[in-house]
Amino acid sequence: MAQLRRDIRKFTDRETEVIAVGPENAPQFKTWWDEHEMPFIGIPDPDHIIADRYGQQSKLIKMGRLPASVLVDKYGRIRYSRFGDSMADIPETEEMLAIIDALNKGTAGQG
Amino acid sequence: MSENKQYDAAPDFTAVDSSGRQITLSEYKGKKNVLLIFNRGFQ
Repeated sequence: MAQLRRDIRKFTDRETEVIAVGPENAPQFKTWWDEHEMPFIGIPDPDHIIADRYGQQSKLIKMGRLPASVLVDKYGRIRYSRFGDSMADIPETEEMLAIIDALNKGTAGQG
Repeated sequence: MSENKQYDAAPDFTAVDSSGRQITLSEYKGKKNVLLIFNRGFQ
């Protein structure tokens, strides 16, 4: 998260919104988010409604398959996803930016 | 290139973010990519 926070402009410069989803309830989530001054959207998802919709069953969360990263393109399609066992499994920014650059190039001139 | 490849549609959702704003994924369609990060916990 610290890395994302530091690199957020690299994403916004590439027309990419970052949205983080966490399992805390709304007050806990807001406290953490505000304390750390996170510069992107954060959504509390205590009932795992969003996470479940993305194929993350609660039992998987308990098994520790989070975090997960999902990249959605401008057409609303999932173009990349990755599930990991630890924060270290969040893809490095540069790796993700390269994917976004390829996406933006590939979709240029469409639609 | 793989222009004909089928990609899964991202499940839409509407939720309230930490500042009380209503966020709907599909509203970014045609405007921005979205990187969703599902975290195990921030605490």
